[in-house]
Amino acid sequence: MGKNLKLKSARAALDMSQKDIADAVGVTRQTINAIENGDYNPTIKLCTAICKVLGKTLNDIFWEDEADEKKPVG
Amino acid sequence: MKKNQLDEMQVQKRNSIGNQAFLLLMYLLMIDAGLYGFGFRWIEYPANIMIMVTVCAGIYLIRLINNHAYVGPSAENKRPVLRFILMVAIACSVAAGISMMLKNASFTNTAQINEMSAPIMFITAAIAIIIALATLLIKRSQ
Repeated sequence: MGKNLKLKSARAALDMSQKDIADAVGVTRQTINAIENGDYNPTIKLCTAICKVLGKTLNDIFWEDEADEKKPVG
Repeated sequence: MKKNQLDEMQVQKRNSIGNQAFLLLMYLLMIDAGLYGFGFRWIEYPANIMIMVTVCAGIYLIRLINNHAYVGPSAENKRPVLRFILMVAIACSVAAGISMMLKNASFTNTAQINEMSAPIMFITAAIAIIIALATLLIKRSQ
Protein backbone atom coordinates (compact mmCIF):
# COMPACT_ATOMS: atom_id res chain seq x y z
CA MET A 1 0.00 0.00 0.00
CA GLY A 2 1.52 3.31 -1.11
CA LYS A 3 1.55 6.64 0.61
CA ASN A 4 -1.69 8.60 0.65
CA LEU A 5 -0.42 11.90 -0.73
CA LYS A 6 -3.96 13.10 -1.47
CA LEU A 7 -4.79 13.09 2.20
CA LYS A 8 -1.57 14.89 3.00
CA SER A 9 -2.13 17.59 0.36
CA ALA A 10 -5.78 18.07 1.36
CA ARG A 11 -4.70 18.48 4.97
CA ALA A 12 -1.97 20.92 3.99
CA ALA A 13 -4.41 22.94 1.88
CA LEU A 14 -6.54 23.53 4.96
CA ASP A 15 -3.41 24.28 7.02
CA MET A 16 -4.25 21.49 9.43
CA SER A 17 -1.80 19.32 11.31
CA GLN A 18 -2.12 15.57 11.80
CA LYS A 19 -3.05 16.31 15.39
CA ASP A 20 -5.90 18.64 14.31
CA ILE A 21 -7.47 15.96 12.11
CA ALA A 22 -6.91 13.29 14.73
CA ASP A 23 -8.70 15.36 17.38
CA ALA A 24 -11.54 16.13 14.98
CA VAL A 25 -12.22 12.49 14.09
CA GLY A 26 -11.42 11.03 17.52
CA VAL A 27 -8.31 8.99 16.80
CA THR A 28 -4.65 9.31 17.74
CA ARG A 29 -2.11 11.29 15.73
CA GLN A 30 -0.23 8.04 15.11
CA THR A 31 -3.28 6.62 13.30
CA ILE A 32 -3.47 9.58 10.90
CA ASN A 33 0.28 9.33 10.33
CA ALA A 34 -0.03 5.61 9.57
CA ILE A 35 -2.83 6.28 7.05
CA GLU A 36 -0.77 8.95 5.30
CA ASN A 37 2.25 6.66 5.12
CA GLY A 38 0.18 3.73 3.85
CA ASP A 39 0.93 1.63 6.92
CA TYR A 40 -2.70 1.29 7.96
CA ASN A 41 -5.86 0.63 5.95
CA PRO A 42 -8.68 2.55 7.70
CA THR A 43 -12.29 1.42 7.94
CA ILE A 44 -14.96 3.12 5.86
CA LYS A 45 -16.25 4.79 9.03
CA LEU A 46 -12.93 6.51 9.65
CA CYS A 47 -12.54 7.35 5.95
CA THR A 48 -15.87 9.17 5.88
CA ALA A 49 -15.07 11.00 9.11
CA ILE A 50 -11.77 12.23 7.65
CA CYS A 51 -13.46 13.27 4.41
CA LYS A 52 -16.09 15.27 6.32
CA VAL A 53 -13.41 17.12 8.25
CA LEU A 54 -11.48 17.91 5.06
CA GLY A 55 -14.61 18.78 3.05
CA LYS A 56 -13.78 16.20 0.38
CA THR A 57 -15.39 13.05 -0.98
CA LEU A 58 -14.12 9.50 -0.58
CA ASN A 59 -13.08 9.52 -4.24
CA ASP A 60 -11.00 12.65 -3.72
CA ILE A 61 -8.99 11.21 -0.85
CA PHE A 62 -9.05 7.42 -0.96
CA TRP A 63 -9.55 6.42 -4.60
CA GLU A 64 -6.34 4.94 -5.96
CA ASP A 65 -5.17 5.92 -9.44
CA GLU A 66 -4.16 2.37 -10.37
CA ALA A 67 -7.80 1.36 -10.31
CA ASP A 68 -8.67 4.10 -12.79
CA GLU A 69 -6.12 2.74 -15.27
CA LYS A 70 -7.79 -0.69 -15.20
CA LYS A 71 -11.17 0.68 -16.29
CA PRO A 72 -12.40 -0.83 -19.60
CA VAL A 73 -12.25 1.53 -22.58
CA GLY A 74 -15.54 2.45 -24.25
CA MET B 1 -16.35 8.20 17.52
CA LYS B 2 -15.89 7.58 21.20
CA LYS B 3 -12.77 9.33 22.35
CA ASN B 4 -12.50 7.60 25.71
CA GLN B 5 -11.64 4.26 24.09
CA LEU B 6 -8.86 3.00 21.89
CA ASP B 7 -9.22 3.90 18.23
CA GLU B 8 -9.51 1.24 15.52
CA MET B 9 -5.78 1.00 14.76
CA GLN B 10 -4.96 0.78 18.45
CA VAL B 11 -7.49 -2.04 18.89
CA GLN B 12 -5.95 -3.95 15.99
CA LYS B 13 -2.46 -3.53 17.42
CA ARG B 14 -3.60 -4.53 20.90
CA ASN B 15 -5.24 -7.67 19.55
CA SER B 16 -2.15 -8.58 17.55
CA ILE B 17 0.20 -8.03 20.50
CA GLY B 18 -2.17 -9.92 22.81
CA ASN B 19 -2.27 -12.92 20.49
CA GLN B 20 1.52 -12.99 20.26
CA ALA B 21 1.89 -12.70 24.04
CA PHE B 22 -0.57 -15.54 24.53
CA LEU B 23 1.29 -17.76 22.07
CA LEU B 24 4.59 -16.91 23.76
CA LEU B 25 3.12 -17.92 27.12
CA MET B 26 1.79 -21.16 25.66
CA TYR B 27 5.16 -22.07 24.09
CA LEU B 28 7.01 -21.25 27.32
CA LEU B 29 4.62 -23.48 29.29
CA MET B 30 5.06 -26.29 26.78
CA ILE B 31 8.86 -25.97 26.88
CA ASP B 32 8.71 -26.02 30.67
CA ALA B 33 6.51 -29.12 30.62
CA GLY B 34 8.85 -30.77 28.11
CA LEU B 35 11.90 -30.03 30.23
CA TYR B 36 10.09 -31.44 33.25
CA GLY B 37 9.39 -34.59 31.23
CA PHE B 38 13.11 -34.96 30.59
CA GLY B 39 13.75 -34.61 34.29
CA PHE B 40 15.10 -31.06 34.22
CA ARG B 41 13.58 -28.59 36.67
CA TRP B 42 14.98 -25.06 36.38
CA ILE B 43 12.84 -23.64 39.25
CA GLU B 44 10.33 -25.33 41.52
CA TYR B 45 6.62 -25.40 40.62
CA PRO B 46 4.81 -22.22 41.67
CA ALA B 47 7.76 -19.97 40.91
CA ASN B 48 8.25 -21.14 37.31
CA ILE B 49 4.63 -20.40 36.37
CA MET B 50 4.71 -17.04 38.14
CA ILE B 51 7.93 -16.06 36.37
CA MET B 52 6.64 -17.06 32.93
CA VAL B 53 3.32 -15.27 33.39
CA THR B 54 5.09 -12.18 34.73
CA VAL B 55 7.53 -12.11 31.80
CA CYS B 56 4.74 -12.48 29.23
CA ALA B 57 2.60 -9.83 30.96
CA GLY B 58 5.59 -7.49 31.06
CA ILE B 59 6.34 -8.01 27.37
CA TYR B 60 2.66 -7.43 26.56
CA LEU B 61 2.54 -4.20 28.56
CA ILE B 62 5.82 -2.83 27.21
CA ARG B 63 4.86 -3.57 23.60
CA LEU B 64 1.43 -1.96 24.12
CA ILE B 65 3.01 1.23 25.43
CA ASN B 66 5.70 1.18 22.73
CA ASN B 67 3.06 0.87 19.98
CA HIS B 68 0.86 3.65 21.44
CA ALA B 69 -1.95 1.17 22.05
CA TYR B 70 -2.25 1.45 25.82
CA VAL B 71 -4.36 4.60 26.20
CA GLY B 72 -7.00 6.07 23.91
CA PRO B 73 -6.98 9.43 22.11
CA SER B 74 -8.56 11.41 24.96
CA ALA B 75 -6.17 10.08 27.59
CA GLU B 76 -3.18 11.14 25.49
CA ASN B 77 -4.29 14.77 25.68
CA LYS B 78 -4.79 14.75 29.44
CA ARG B 79 -2.07 15.34 32.00
CA PRO B 80 -3.43 13.60 35.11
CA VAL B 81 -0.81 14.76 37.61
CA LEU B 82 -2.75 13.60 40.67
CA ARG B 83 -3.35 10.15 39.21
CA PHE B 84 0.29 9.88 38.15
CA ILE B 85 1.54 10.76 41.64
CA LEU B 86 -0.90 8.29 43.21
CA MET B 87 0.19 5.54 40.82
CA VAL B 88 3.87 6.16 41.55
CA ALA B 89 3.20 6.06 45.30
CA ILE B 90 1.20 2.83 45.02
CA ALA B 91 3.83 1.25 42.75
CA CYS B 92 6.61 2.14 45.20
CA SER B 93 4.66 0.74 48.15
CA VAL B 94 3.84 -2.46 46.23
CA ALA B 95 7.47 -2.92 45.19
CA ALA B 96 8.64 -2.35 48.76
CA GLY B 97 6.02 -4.77 50.14
CA ILE B 98 6.88 -7.54 47.69
CA SER B 99 10.60 -7.01 48.30
CA MET B 100 10.04 -7.38 52.03
CA MET B 101 7.97 -10.52 51.47
CA LEU B 102 10.54 -12.09 49.18
CA LYS B 103 13.46 -11.06 51.33
CA ASN B 104 13.71 -14.41 53.01
CA ALA B 105 12.09 -16.44 50.26
CA SER B 106 14.11 -19.06 48.47
CA PHE B 107 13.22 -20.40 45.03
CA THR B 108 14.96 -23.68 45.78
CA ASN B 109 12.68 -24.55 48.69
CA THR B 110 9.34 -25.89 47.43
CA ALA B 111 7.49 -25.67 50.73
CA GLN B 112 8.50 -22.07 51.23
CA ILE B 113 7.40 -21.13 47.71
CA ASN B 114 4.03 -22.79 48.31
CA GLU B 115 3.63 -20.78 51.48
CA MET B 116 4.55 -17.56 49.71
CA SER B 117 2.43 -18.01 46.59
CA ALA B 118 -0.95 -17.65 48.30
CA PRO B 119 -0.25 -14.32 50.06
CA ILE B 120 1.46 -12.93 46.95
CA MET B 121 -1.55 -13.74 44.78
CA PHE B 122 -3.94 -12.39 47.41
CA ILE B 123 -1.96 -9.16 47.74
CA THR B 124 -1.71 -8.77 43.95
CA ALA B 125 -5.48 -9.11 43.56
CA ALA B 126 -6.13 -6.74 46.48
CA ILE B 127 -3.76 -4.13 45.04
CA ALA B 128 -5.39 -4.41 41.61
CA ILE B 129 -8.80 -3.75 43.18
CA ILE B 130 -7.43 -0.79 45.17
CA ILE B 131 -5.86 0.72 42.03
CA ALA B 132 -9.10 0.24 40.08
CA LEU B 133 -11.15 1.89 42.83
CA ALA B 134 -8.69 4.78 43.20
CA THR B 135 -8.68 5.36 39.45
CA LEU B 136 -12.48 5.31 39.39
CA LEU B 137 -12.74 7.81 42.24
CA ILE B 138 -10.19 10.19 40.67
CA LYS B 139 -11.89 9.93 37.30
CA ARG B 140 -15.25 10.84 38.83
CA SER B 141 -13.79 13.73 40.82
CA GLN B 142 -12.16 15.15 37.67
